[in-house]
Amino acid sequence: MSTQNIVQTIARTLDEEMGKDERIVVLGEDVGKRGGVFLATENLFEKYGPDRVMDTPLSEAAIIGAAVGMAAHGMRPIAEIQFADYVYPGFDQLVSQAAKLRYRSGGQFTAPMVVRMPAGGGVNGGHHHSQNPESHFIHTAGLKVVYPSTPRDTRGLLRTAIADEDPVVFMEPKRLYRAIKEEVPEGDETIPIGKANVRKRGDDVVIISYGGSMAEAQRAAEELEKQQISTELIDLRSLQPWDKETVLDSVARIGRAVLVSEAPHSLGFMSEVSATISEEILDSLLAPPMRVSGFDIPYPYAYDREYLPGPNRILRAVQQVLDY
Amino acid sequence: MIKGTPRFEAFTDEPITLVSEQGKWVGDFEPDLSKDQLRGLYRDMVAARLLDERFSRLQRSGRISFYASSSGHEGAQVAAGRAAQAGRDWIFPYYRDSAMVLTLGMPTREIIGQMMATRLDPNRGRQMPAHPGHGPLKIYTAASPIASHVPPAVGTAISMKLQATGEVTVCSLGDGATSEGDFHAGINFAGVQGAPIVFLVQNNRYAISVDYNKQTASQNIAMKAHAYGMPGYLVDGMDVLASYYVLKESIERAREGFGPSLVETTVYRYGPHSPADDDSRYRPKEEVEAWRKRDPLPRYRRFLENEGLWDEKQEKELLASIEEEQKAAQQEAQEAGKVPLEWMFEDVFAEVPDFLREQQQRLSPEEK
Ligand SMILES: Cc1ncc(C[n+]2csc(CCOP(=O)(O)OP(=O)(O)O)c2C)c(N)n1
Repeated sequence: MSTQNIVQTIARTLDEEMGKDERIVVLGEDVGKRGGVFLATENLFEKYGPDRVMDTPLSEAAIIGAAVGMAAHGMRPIAEIQFADYVYPGFDQLVSQAAKLRYRSGGQFTAPMVVRMPAGGGVNGGHHHSQNPESHFIHTAGLKVVYPSTPRDTRGLLRTAIADEDPVVFMEPKRLYRAIKEEVPEGDETIPIGKANVRKRGDDVVIISYGGSMAEAQRAAEELEKQQISTELIDLRSLQPWDKETVLDSVARIGRAVLVSEAPHSLGFMSEVSATISEEILDSLLAPPMRVSGFDIPYPYAYDREYLPGPNRILRAVQQVLDY
Repeated sequence: MIKGTPRFEAFTDEPITLVSEQGKWVGDFEPDLSKDQLRGLYRDMVAARLLDERFSRLQRSGRISFYASSSGHEGAQVAAGRAAQAGRDWIFPYYRDSAMVLTLGMPTREIIGQMMATRLDPNRGRQMPAHPGHGPLKIYTAASPIASHVPPAVGTAISMKLQATGEVTVCSLGDGATSEGDFHAGINFAGVQGAPIVFLVQNNRYAISVDYNKQTASQNIAMKAHAYGMPGYLVDGMDVLASYYVLKESIERAREGFGPSLVETTVYRYGPHSPADDDSRYRPKEEVEAWRKRDPLPRYRRFLENEGLWDEKQEKELLASIEEEQKAAQQEAQEAGKVPLEWMFEDVFAEVPDFLREQQQRLSPEEK
């Protein structure tokens, strides 16, 4: 056990797994000597050398596409995309090659690989350093998508993702990279893809979120506690597949749900959650599920904090479902 | 200039140089710039260096969140800014090109306004610092995704050709950018179309920490032009006059209808990639020191002094006048005030649609 933040956990988990499995290769821009621009691959180059910790040319198509080929050929590549915003030059490789290889070959060829990418706003980065593109990936059959928000979940999910037989998009909440520290167990703990975490039990309202927005959801829940409103707080952790059972269970029991995601509102992942709730447990609802999201505008540099669904917007939505 | 007949040789092994490190003219033709023009190149480089130092101070004091230093790139950038016809030719800069946009005549207060997202930013505060754009000067707003501007740059040049406007596009990028698919997609199309465009590659040998040899196995970048059917010039980018003359010739050839070219300028980035970077992790101090000795500013100053065009007194006056000008520009930029929140939902589309007006209502009063 040691206390770690999210980036430290990533570097240590990669180290642990690389030590055990020679098939693992880390590749991306600046992942070598520099240790990654966020230091998520710190010290790996020194320990494993340039063949296993590969600084690539500046091409996301090369990074993701080559990872597909390496995976098909028996390795376990872990690709880093420096910012989720820069996945687009490699998007075709992800969508056309990684996601569809197993299906189009009838299972003869597969791409067990992980594509890591820091995502999300709150870092004064403007639209090219703040986006949350998870909906694109979720909408691409054949990709698994996870988006943890704590060091411990990061370790458990990263280990599972590396072992997975299919391509996993591993999104990391960059504004929380160094914001939270917690005890991270060593040893065999893994967290299954598709399993949510009920962070806190409560009776009046369920707040469901994931990734960077978990920080704001948590703050809102603490504020509500002070106002004697009891909140159940769920961290989805995985988005494809996602933990329908846990969500439906909580929402059916409590009847009121607020769904928080900083991604743009339209077709954000919470639209899926909301639709599922109304399809499956409409009768137990005391109020319509309320989404709190980013806006349908490019992430604006000058209004970094205003864009994010902060505690105030969450509290107002909670009030609305309580007053309904 | 002789029409269509290049004065410079493409695909040389050694960079084209016109002024030696000692400040001596070594070209085989006489420079045809006036004394004022020769001094102007120096003025622009000094202004760019001082502006860069100002950005560094603003960043350290927390008044800007980011900048990408152009120190060490001034030779190439000032040359480009002077070789193009400002306000007529289209310029596609990348984030490191503040010396270029300054030379093109983008007002310092607007450059600083962009850095600070104040009302003076022509981009209306939409982007992080070091992403300038200026409609009237045809400076196509920079985008962070590396090389994504290359195909659009080619598109403008194709349009210029189809409409026979006599304009030229200059598309600027780093060495790392030449690895992206977009670069190859764009330059290939430009070659096929014979479009009037000049690709200016500022090769500082690093893409953040990734050194040139990990970027490409090619001896240099200029030679890549060969495969796309256009000349590629390898130029000493620490030599502002060599950069100027090669770019000028390439731009004018493009204007005359002789098609695109690629100009690779060898430069060096003196600072870290950005304030968040720690360059000591990947490059030796001695290397930085060695390139500092080749600084384009003192080298060109030696040339001007050798030609009897510059002295200590002029230097002092220049530094003082630029400082004063930039200080005033910064003040103006600051006093304009941060871009207002009302602008947040504008410019997504030509008109703000109802669904965005509705979303705007959801901003919490406290967050407004
Ligand atoms: C598509 C894309 N991938 C990654 C990045 C992150 N990034 C920003 S600058 C940079 C290096 C660029 O190097 P180069 O083109 O040589 O220009 P330089 O900064 O050296 O002037 C990288 C990888 C990006 N901005 N866009």
